Amino acid sequence: MEFTLLFLATAIAMLVAWRGPRLLALGLFGVVLIACAATYLHHATDTLKLSF
Amino acid sequence: MTRARAITLNAIGLYAVALVLAAAFAAQFILQELPCPLCLLQRILFAALAAGPILNIRFGPRPSHYALSLLAAIAGAVASGRQVLLHIMPGDAGYGSALLGYHYYTWALLGFLGAIVLIAAILLFDRQFEQDKAVLPATGGVFAQIAVWLVIALTIGNVATTLLECGFGACADNPVAYELLKRDS
Repeated sequence: MEFTLLFLATAIAMLVAWRGPRLLALGLFGVVLIACAATYLHHATDTLKLSF
Repeated sequence: MTRARAITLNAIGLYAVALVLAAAFAAQFILQELPCPLCLLQRILFAALAAGPILNIRFGPRPSHYALSLLAAIAGAVASGRQVLLHIMPGDAGYGSALLGYHYYTWALLGFLGAIVLIAAILLFDRQFEQDKAVLPATGGVFAQIAVWLVIALTIGNVATTLLECGFGACADNPVAYELLKRDS
C-alpha cells in the first residue's frame, strides 16, 4: 500500500509542478523523496526480504 | 547553453524517463513479471527524476530544480545498488529475467548513475540560468508538453497497477499474482 501512496504522491507533485505554485511543488517533491528514503530504511532494517 | 536549449534537453530527459517507465510496464505485462517492493521503489524514484525537468520547463531552468532530480537519482542509485548487492553471491540467479545479460535492477543502477553524471554536466552551463532576450514558447512548446503529460500518465498508470498488485496491505516480497484480482477459492 505504501508504494501505491508514493506513486500517487509523485503524480500529485508532478501535476502541481505543471499547474500549481512552484514552492508547493518543490515541497511536495521534497516530501516524496523523504518518504521514499523512510520506506527504504524501514525495509532495509526489516527482516523481510525485499527481493528474491 | 541558452535557456531554450536547456528546456529542450529537459524535455528529452522527460522522454527518457517515460521510456524507462514504459519498459518497466512492458516487462510487467508482456513477460508477466510483477515488480518486487524494491523494484517498485526504484520505479518511483525514476518517476521522481522528472521533478526537475517539469519544473524547468514550466518556470525556467534553476539549480534548485536540478537538485531535486539529483537527490532522486542518488536515492535511486542507493536502492538499485542494494538490490544488486542482494544478488551478488555466486550461484544467485537474481530476481526476474535478464535483459542483454543484466537484470533490471542492474540497468536501473546504471540509469541512475548516468542521470547523476548528466545532471552534474548540465549544471556546468551557467548561461541557462540567466535571463536572455529569447522569447520562449509558453510551457516549453508542444514537444515538451507531450513529454510532461506522458510521464504524468505513466505515473498515474503505476498508481493503478501497484494498487492492483499490492491491494490495501503490504506488498508481497515475491509477488506472483495481482492481489486485487485474486478470486476466493
